[in-house]
Amino acid sequence: MSSGRSSSRGNISEDEINELISKLQALLPSSRRRGSGQASTTKLLKETCSYIKSLHREVDDLSDRLSDLMSTMDHNSPGAEIIRSILRS
Amino acid sequence: MRGPNTKAFQQGFLKNMIFSLQACSEFCISSSASGGAAMMSLQQRKCAIKSSANIAMATARGGRARWPQAVLASSSSPSRRPSKPSSSPGKKKKNTHVCKKIVRRCLHTRRRWRAGTGASSLARTTSTTTAMIGSREIARRLVRKRTKVLRKMIPGGELLDEISLLHEAVDYVAHLHAQVDVLRRISNAVQRG
Repeated sequence: MSSGRSSSRGNISEDEINELISKLQALLPSSRRRGSGQASTTKLLKETCSYIKSLHREVDDLSDRLSDLMSTMDHNSPGAEIIRSILRS
Repeated sequence: MRGPNTKAFQQGFLKNMIFSLQACSEFCISSSASGGAAMMSLQQRKCAIKSSANIAMATARGGRARWPQAVLASSSSPSRRPSKPSSSPGKKKKNTHVCKKIVRRCLHTRRRWRAGTGASSLARTTSTTTAMIGSREIARRLVRKRTKVLRKMIPGGELLDEISLLHEAVDYVAHLHAQVDVLRRISNAVQRG
């Protein structure tokens, strides 16, 4: 997929890099607060790292919550029914 | 094309999660002979849910990105050997080859760049240009530092060059977002019902 030769690096244009950076910036939550502006690359990378960390934490919290909830119910038809209804929607 | 916000991805993800959760519950029911002590400990359940969520996300994503392989490899190795012996050693060999090539290329470019800046800083003696070169070097070092951190965050990111790393980051962030969304919906639904 990505060849490791230096000649291919020359073919990758600045535009593609800028497009990637703007895509990444669009995904981050902080970009919605400011206008769009110009973020330095290091700040963008730092924000991406912290955002991924917070997403990981959120997944952990949600799975904790889900495991607490699941402890109070049976692993029987009620839970499966709920999940099937989510699938249908 | 490969949108993590598509319904197909979310449905696939949900199905995978349900299968793995059912498998976990069946395993714990079968492992404890008496039906009364069938509940897993909280820790076990947390681990099961987390790993099943990651595995579900990775399998629902498909084979066009790097990080699913890394997630699946890391999750299967602590329990048992990876279940795809034909594909993973070959890919790992390829990855180590690619990694060595990338490391060699990075070293070469770094040496060339250092030699280049040394010559250019000798040629230009104005303080402003040397200050500019200094700030550029600092910026590049910062970028390298940040990409190092980013590589640790993204599974399988240590093997990639910077362009692919950016691609993977975009992809991974979008999919994590979808994972959080699905988990939230599941827990809301379970809480309601």
